[in-house]
Amino acid sequence: MTPEEMQAAIEALQGLSNTNLEIFYYWCTAIMVLIHAGFLMYEMGASRVKHSLASGTKNILAFAFMIPTFYMFGWLIYLSMWQGFTYDPVWGEFGLPMSAIMGPNMADQATGVFWGAFTLFACTTASILSGAVIERIRMASFVVLAVILGSVVWNLAASWGWHPAGWLVTEYGYHDAVASGVVHTISGFFALGVLINLGPRIGKFNADGSANVIRGHSLPMTITGLMLIVVGFFGFIGACVLYNYGVGGGWTNIYGGPTTLSAYLFNTLMGVAGGIIGCYAMTRDPFWMMSGALCGVISVAAGLDLWYPPLAFAIAFAGGFLGPWAAKQIEKMGIDDAVGAVAVHGVCGVWGLLAVGIFLGGYPGFSSWDGFEIPPINMTGQVIGAAVMIATGFIPGYVLSWIFNKLGVLRAGDGVQRDGMDNELEGVAYPEEIRSR
Amino acid sequence: MFQSSPITSWEGAEAIFTYADSPLGMAVCFWIMTAMLIVPLVVSYKAEEKAEADHQ
Repeated sequence: MTPEEMQAAIEALQGLSNTNLEIFYYWCTAIMVLIHAGFLMYEMGASRVKHSLASGTKNILAFAFMIPTFYMFGWLIYLSMWQGFTYDPVWGEFGLPMSAIMGPNMADQATGVFWGAFTLFACTTASILSGAVIERIRMASFVVLAVILGSVVWNLAASWGWHPAGWLVTEYGYHDAVASGVVHTISGFFALGVLINLGPRIGKFNADGSANVIRGHSLPMTITGLMLIVVGFFGFIGACVLYNYGVGGGWTNIYGGPTTLSAYLFNTLMGVAGGIIGCYAMTRDPFWMMSGALCGVISVAAGLDLWYPPLAFAIAFAGGFLGPWAAKQIEKMGIDDAVGAVAVHGVCGVWGLLAVGIFLGGYPGFSSWDGFEIPPINMTGQVIGAAVMIATGFIPGYVLSWIFNKLGVLRAGDGVQRDGMDNELEGVAYPEEIRSR
Repeated sequence: MFQSSPITSWEGAEAIFTYADSPLGMAVCFWIMTAMLIVPLVVSYKAEEKAEADHQ
């Protein structure tokens, strides 16, 4: 082979590699849309008939608003704010909405698919909030809160803890491979901040503080929706792995540390199974049994690249116990979280971060990206990371919803809640057999 | 109509991106999109206010 032929072969391989990268993230993103199909069914099923369309509309609007806003400033924040609150113009240039790579560009096969995957992560954060606040939040205020969460807050935290240069990673060795903290803890505690100001659904609590069960109109729809979310998670998890960035062209985790897709698949499936069985053992409630799949995956997500699979099962099983227990404690505090989002995403997310500190401490930090030194995994880094995620989620959620509440635009009035949130929309959910208004 | 293309032929083109030489066009599109996000929220607020008034 002549040097020219060798060079041509190398260029052909590079072209093939770029195409493979595009194909991989393109389909991961497509599969992630199933998360939103799932959240849509889940929330509508968990709502009473008179609120079901409003719940679904709210969910779809969050999805739709996230896409342009993540294009406008979300991607920019993720790429550029890794130092804290200081903008890095070098990285930021790649995420500016008027950058030459933020659109059709024959010289760039990566930006669009990575932007797309991160946009779908952002949509997931908004959907987590969406479920918690059903049946009483006003639509426009919810959309604004969702945009702040999905296109500002979570990606700021991701820049700190889910980026090879992020200060939580390089200074403390924070390890959160599949976003227990930067997606789930952030969203769960943002939702908690909003719920405190939003207040409970009418009829949720009695005068003595005891809670009533408000059943949604279709548990089968909710359970099927949860199963769709699990399917979509495989796209989510695939998009958390970097293709062809490792030494010798292998897979890496989000920080550039070596891994394989097989590692992720072993532990994702163990997480799903452990969470379902743990929640079933704890509650024998079909709703919680299926929510257990989320409890389990979220509990193992931070260390998904490293667990021994039976350990992942055990951690997920514990998450399956923790989720419904935490939901009960939150309810005792007088907070009405309609779908247990704070417990499932917030509390299990924290558990996932701490489990990494407990069971994976000492694993070396490594990045195949030039110039990034990452300390070994350690408990201090995980605790600091968890505290940062809780605060970064809770504070903006609480403050913004407090402002909206003072302006009188956060919570629907008692009359609208009594007659049904669907009254704000055109159309009825079940026009022939079941009254929706 | 806007004559936005920076190229006149695909032959020899290496990096092709729309509106590459039209920053004004990009800015106009960007702000139109921004307005298209804000207006529906205002419409939604108004619909909510009406529903509140109708369901006291």
